[in-house]
Parts: sequence; C-alpha cells; structure tokens
Amino acid sequence: MTAPAPTVLARNLTMTFGRTRALDDVSFELVPGVTGLLGPNGAGKTTLLRVLATVSAPDTGSVVSLGLDPRRTDMRLDLRGRLGYMPQEPGFHARFTAFEFVDYVAILKELHQRRARHEEVRRVLDLVGLGAVRRKKIKTLSGGMRRRVALAQALLGDPDLLILDEPTAGLDPEQRLRFRELVGRLGEGRTVLLSTHQTEDVFALCQQVMVLHLGKLRFAGTPLELAGLAQGHVWHSHERDPGALGAWRTGTGQHRNIGNPPAGADLLEPTLEDGYLLLLGGDRVEEVSA
Amino acid sequence: MGEVDPAGAWHADREVLAAYRDGRLDVAGRWSVEAHLTSCAACRLQARALVDPAQLRRLRAALIEAVDAPRAGVAERLLVRLGVPDHTARVLAATPALRGSWLLALTATLAFAVLAAWVRRGADATLWFLCVAPLLPLAGIAVAYGPGIDPSYEIGLAAPLRSFRLLLLRAASVLATSTMLAAAASVLLPGFGWGAAGWLLPSLGLTVCSLALATMVEPLRAVGVTAGAWVVAVAVTVALPSPSSVLFSPAGQVAFATLALLAGVVVLVRRGRFETDRGFDTTPRFAARRLR
Repeated sequence: MTAPAPTVLARNLTMTFGRTRALDDVSFELVPGVTGLLGPNGAGKTTLLRVLATVSAPDTGSVVSLGLDPRRTDMRLDLRGRLGYMPQEPGFHARFTAFEFVDYVAILKELHQRRARHEEVRRVLDLVGLGAVRRKKIKTLSGGMRRRVALAQALLGDPDLLILDEPTAGLDPEQRLRFRELVGRLGEGRTVLLSTHQTEDVFALCQQVMVLHLGKLRFAGTPLELAGLAQGHVWHSHERDPGALGAWRTGTGQHRNIGNPPAGADLLEPTLEDGYLLLLGGDRVEEVSA
Repeated sequence: MGEVDPAGAWHADREVLAAYRDGRLDVAGRWSVEAHLTSCAACRLQARALVDPAQLRRLRAALIEAVDAPRAGVAERLLVRLGVPDHTARVLAATPALRGSWLLALTATLAFAVLAAWVRRGADATLWFLCVAPLLPLAGIAVAYGPGIDPSYEIGLAAPLRSFRLLLLRAASVLATSTMLAAAASVLLPGFGWGAAGWLLPSLGLTVCSLALATMVEPLRAVGVTAGAWVVAVAVTVALPSPSSVLFSPAGQVAFATLALLAGVVVLVRRGRFETDRGFDTTPRFAARRLR
C-alpha cells in the first residue's frame, strides 16, 4: 500500500515576535487524516496554525497547502475557500444568534446565494448538534456550545483542510466524546490539524502527532511512536523514586516514575503522555510532579 | 368529488388531488382537502404519488427557508430596500461602529456643535461645527474594522472575502452615515450657506488619510494620529487672526482634495497589507461588545 500524498508541505518556517522566536525552522508534512499538535503553552502552536490558516505570513519559509502557495494572492484566496479555521479564541458578535453568526461567516466565505447559504448553515449547525438552539443569541449559550458554534463556522463549505486551535477546551466529557466522534468522521478523506493539551484526545483521534516546544518541532510520527519514546523509562514503586525525572502517586497508591529506571525496576507499558513528558524533558515532568 | 371505501370512510379521488396539486381548487376545496389529508394516511399516500419528488424537496426547502431564515434588522432591511444585495447588507449591518450607541453619540455631538454656533452667532459661528464634523467619520472608522475591534476579525482574515473590500465597505458606510447626519445638521446652522459645507472635503481627506496610515500601523492608531493632526491644525487655525480663512478657504479645500487623492493612491498600492495579520494586538478594546 502506498503512503497518501501530503496535502500540506511546510518548509523551514520561522517567525519572530520581538525577542521571541515563536517558530524556529519548522518543517513537516501533513497527510489526509487527523493530526494532533501537542505542546505546552507558548510552544508556538497557535502561531503555526495561524500561518497554516493564512492569517499570518511567516518571516521566512514556505507552506504549500492543497497544492496552493498562499504567498500568491490568487492561490491564497483559493486556499481560503477550501480551508476551515477555528481560532483559539473566536470572537462573536454579541447580538447575533448562532444561525446569524454562522450565516455571517458564510458570507465572508462568499456563499452569496441566500437559500443555498442558509441550507449550508443549517447543515453545519446540525452537524455539531446545535440545530435546536440555532435561533438563540450566542451570548445566552454555554461555553461548550459557543465552541461548537465556532466549529460549525469552520465546517462551512465542507473544507478539504480543517485547522482547529484547541477545539476541546472547555468541553465537558460528554461533549468531548461527541467532538471526537465528529472529528473522527471529518478526518476520513480530508486533512484535519488540531492543537490540544489533551494527550487522550490525540490518542483517541489522531493518526499522526507532532510536538512543538519553544518554537521547534520536537517530534512527528504516530501516537504509538510517541508513546514508544518512553519504552523502558516508566516504572512504578511504592515510594517516590528520587532518581526519577518526575513521579506522581496514582489511584492504586503506587508511584508512577518517569526517567532512567534503577536496575530491577518494575517497568510499565508507557502511554502517549509518558512519551510526551519525557520528550519535553525534566522541566515539564517536574511541573507534572509538583 | 370523492369516493367512499367499503368501511364507509370518504376519500379524495385522484382527480381532486391532482386539482389540489395544481392549485385549481377554490379556497373551500383547498381547505377541505388539506383538513382531510391531515387525518387520512391513505389519501396522503395517494397525494404523494401525484407529486414530483424533486418539486416536493424544493417546496420543503422553500418552506423551511420562509419559516427559519433570520429576520433582518432595521438597518439591514433598509439597505436591501435601497438595492444593496442581502449578503452585503449583512456585512454592513455587522459593522461594529454602526450601532445605536454610535449613532446617538454622533447626533449628540452634532447637536452640541449646532448649539454652539447659535450661541456664538458671530462671524465664525460655524467654525466649531466645521472643525468637529470631519472627526465624526474618523471616530466611526476607528471602531469599524480591525484587530481588537471586529469580534470575528481573525475568522474574517482566513475567509476568501478580501479584507480590503470589507474595510472599504465599512468605511464607505460609516462615511455615508456620518456625512448624511452632518449635512442634515449643517442646514440648522445660523446663516446657512455654501460655507457650511466646508467640512466635506476635510472629512473625506482625513478619512482616506487614516485608511492609508492603516496600511502601516494598527487601524485604531492610524485614526488617532489623523484625528490628532486635525485637532492640532484646528488649534493653530483658531490662534490665527482670521481663523476661518485658512482651513476652509478655497486653497484649503484644494489641499484636502489633493490629500484625499494622494492617500487614495497609497491605499490602493498598499491594499495587500490588509490581507494578513501583521502581529497586531487582537485584545478586545470593547470587552462588553465581544464574547469569547
């Protein structure tokens, strides 16, 4: 079986804000399916997603998405017509209903034919489970519902490339489950890139994962490969192991340790989170242990 | 008209249903058939067979649209009445500046300027009005578009509609609204004459100038700089022995027309700068107006 052709090719992306290098020579490829972007706060995730969504232009480097180079005006506009973007902090017009807001974004996406546009708005609102509250003012909706309104606008026009910045933030477990089910379906046949802090979302949803830290791409591979980085580096003990990079007491009363295990340690099967924490090094593990 | 089945129940015959489908029945007939269809599954089945499924889908879609489409606000309906396409009207109605509170502030400012003119009544009675009027569209443009102002600014940037077009649409609507209000107010000035229209070209010049500056700095800052420059010019003018003769003289009018033209060229040449974010602070300036 041949590997699917990449739909996004990013080469040597660099972006600096003042003294902060938000992206530092980042290169990667995305293929159809769901890719998770992990990284601590300030890692450069949002900057990277904004570049891919054509909202920001990188200082250096290039991105070609769906065969289109956004540095060329005509291609950038074509690309914008084929991508859906959910920002980390989508702003809403307070006086709009959910329907009116998504309808407004549909106009910005140049869906001008009124009836067809309204049908599309109804479709995406039904898709995210907000059909019943479409006439409610956004200011009266819960935080989770607002996230879904933001997701609905990203789905307008059935985009080939979907970029979601922390879509599960603020969702309760049930909403998160519904979201996983929806994004899982959306990832069939199109490219979805989502940033998140939730390693369990990545494990449940993503075929590929990338880890960004201090503007650098530290890992790109499958979730299993990321978990595999911690193979032989996770063990449990009755007491906190002083030699561990990090350790925490689990529900069983035992301590789960990450780092270089002592001889004869009782090794555990690593999770994706173990691999992620080990990859980011001692600082992050200490943060978790605290 | 109908037929009775062995159980004694009445049913609409095929001919009646076909006439109903084609709209050939009178009102009483239509109501009668509709009332019957709601309670008779057999007739509904027969009626369904007479209707083209594609036509049925179209009718259903039209019905949903008629019931479900959002109701446009007053401003939006007015724009559509004036011939503006409904999608453009919606974009204009979403302009953060064009709200009741802004229009109220605009009207109050103009009312004070007119009142001041009536109180002074001197040779330069209209001077304050002439100085205040060009600032009004600037204030509107400051809160019409841009990072931290437009709640869906970032989503808009990622959409194919050109941000430059959006900006021009909103700037034009703000300029038109404030110009109409200021024109109406100028009629109320004491000794109304052509001199009362002296604010028009400065207003246009300053507006286009602020748009040109917005290609270089954050839009809100661009408006601030332009308004500041105007206020300084006014202060200097007032200090001169014959104040009204400078800014609003024919030479001054030509200067503002030239400024508008030059700034317009800058806007056109640098319009691409509106198409991506330039690292501006997107923190909302008007938190109450925006929901996260």
